[in-house]
Amino acid sequence: MLEARQLSLSLSEFTLLQGIDLQIEAGKVTAILGPNGAGKTSLLRLLTGELLPSSGEIVFNGAQLSQWQPKQLAKMLSVLPQGSQLNFPFTAREVVMMGRIPHATGLVKDTEIVDAALSAVGGSYLDKRFYTQMSGGEKQRVQLARVLAQIWEPDASGDRFLILDEPTSSFDLAHQQLTLEIVRGFARQGVGVLMVIHDLNLAAGCADQLVMLSCGKIAAQGSPETVLTTAMIKDVFNVDASIGLHPKTGSPLVIV
Amino acid sequence: MRRQSPSQFIFIASLSLVMALVLGLLSGAVNIPPSKLLGLFDLSNTDLDHRILQTIRLPRVLLAALAGACLASCGAVMQGLFRNPLADPSLIGVSSGASVGASCVIFFGGASLVGSGIGLPAIAIGAFVGGLLATSVVYRLATSITGTSVSTMLLAGIAITALAGATTSLFSFFADNEMLRRISLWQMGNLDGADWSRVTTLALVVVPLILILPKEGQALNAMLLGESEARHLGVAVECLKRRLILLTALGVGVAVSVSGIVAFVGLIVPHLVRLLIGPDHRYLIPGSAILGAVLLLLADTAARTLMSPAELPTGVLTALLGAPFFVGLLIQQRQKLMG
Repeated sequence: MLEARQLSLSLSEFTLLQGIDLQIEAGKVTAILGPNGAGKTSLLRLLTGELLPSSGEIVFNGAQLSQWQPKQLAKMLSVLPQGSQLNFPFTAREVVMMGRIPHATGLVKDTEIVDAALSAVGGSYLDKRFYTQMSGGEKQRVQLARVLAQIWEPDASGDRFLILDEPTSSFDLAHQQLTLEIVRGFARQGVGVLMVIHDLNLAAGCADQLVMLSCGKIAAQGSPETVLTTAMIKDVFNVDASIGLHPKTGSPLVIV
Repeated sequence: MRRQSPSQFIFIASLSLVMALVLGLLSGAVNIPPSKLLGLFDLSNTDLDHRILQTIRLPRVLLAALAGACLASCGAVMQGLFRNPLADPSLIGVSSGASVGASCVIFFGGASLVGSGIGLPAIAIGAFVGGLLATSVVYRLATSITGTSVSTMLLAGIAITALAGATTSLFSFFADNEMLRRISLWQMGNLDGADWSRVTTLALVVVPLILILPKEGQALNAMLLGESEARHLGVAVECLKRRLILLTALGVGVAVSVSGIVAFVGLIVPHLVRLLIGPDHRYLIPGSAILGAVLLLLADTAARTLMSPAELPTGVLTALLGAPFFVGLLIQQRQKLMG
């Protein structure tokens, strides 16, 4: 369980987040939605321990987040940030292999996991290609494979969590779907997934729980049906939308 | 470009290092026949060739090899730390910072210090402190959450180099003749003061450094992904940065205190090694150390023999080779950005 209690964050007199209560359960997919500047990325950075909250607390697998040793935490919590700064010519395999840095499982095991992670994101063909020469979508897939490889197997010290900041932003339709399938697959294995996502319909189709952020506060939280309403979308995004139902899955469909 | 296997590369580079050492021992103002190398370590050999080998050539080639290995491996580490392949101790002002520290010690320590046994270690400590200050300032200025800005990094380097130049000029202005000569010889980057005390000082720092740095290779690889990515991979980032800044400042500081500013070795060598075997720091750092030793040895041998019996300052030679190389890299980067 990853739990936020009454989190607030202020940076240089601006209040970015206020009174956030949130529970991310193992085996469930939670999506954070909200307009630009609502505080989505700040919330992720608090929950991953990259920023310290001005007040409130974060509990990860039964202990305060800040009390976990970095190395131990890295075996359970894997984070995909937005964009990447890597500009050295590593091959895709080498980048994905970095996901195994926190583990001491040996080269044979790590190679198996890297193969499996690359193939899961449909990137086996990228294996020996240089990261610096890939397209945006290919880079993002390699990074996704890296964070998957990091928590590929259960860890003795607690539940695994996967945190993704806009994982589908530079993907085409097929790879968006593939990513969401991967995410669901990990959740079925008991991994708690938290992701920031802009596409409301992708979120509704994949997540068990939606969290709508607006101006640094949680505007709504719950199942896709309860969060995605015309009133809520008008309220948060100031857009008039209709809500339909997905003909196959029955999840809500936001039509603008 | 196809990569070479790291072990193969390190093997070939080590062979070249042995050859470069032999070449450096044999050539110079007096050419020594290869057969004389046999009794190199036998101190009872007192003929002229052996005396030249034992008291002049051997310390000189060892000093060149150690300084080259030190500068190149520190360059590789700095480039990883700054997440930028253009970082080099001499370009970003670390060498200048170290040289100010060292001039300070020479100036205030005066003749008493330079003549005595603690002179060299004291100068080395001064250089270390100067280098440390410079690295910390450049690092603070140039890195932010979004990465390292090359322009800020190079501008900070210019500022520190200018400040260092001014300080050294000030020292020169107030210095007496003897001190003036010492300070100015040093700035050219010269290995001609090689003697056993310098070799020992440098070896005491460089050998442990070369053994320690590759152990940080995996963490440095993670740093290339970005600081927060490295943190999420379990790397204690702040601690790692502090340690690496300290170690590289120590390495560069000591190299500068015994050999002056030998520019561009820290830039060219890691770049070449990265082209050949890839950017993995676990192999890049030792590979750079060996190739750096080879390169500086060859440059120094050339500096001694080209205008024999006169000697060119080694730093002048490496800068003559390095500056065009650096411009080439900049053009390449520009094209990458545009295309």
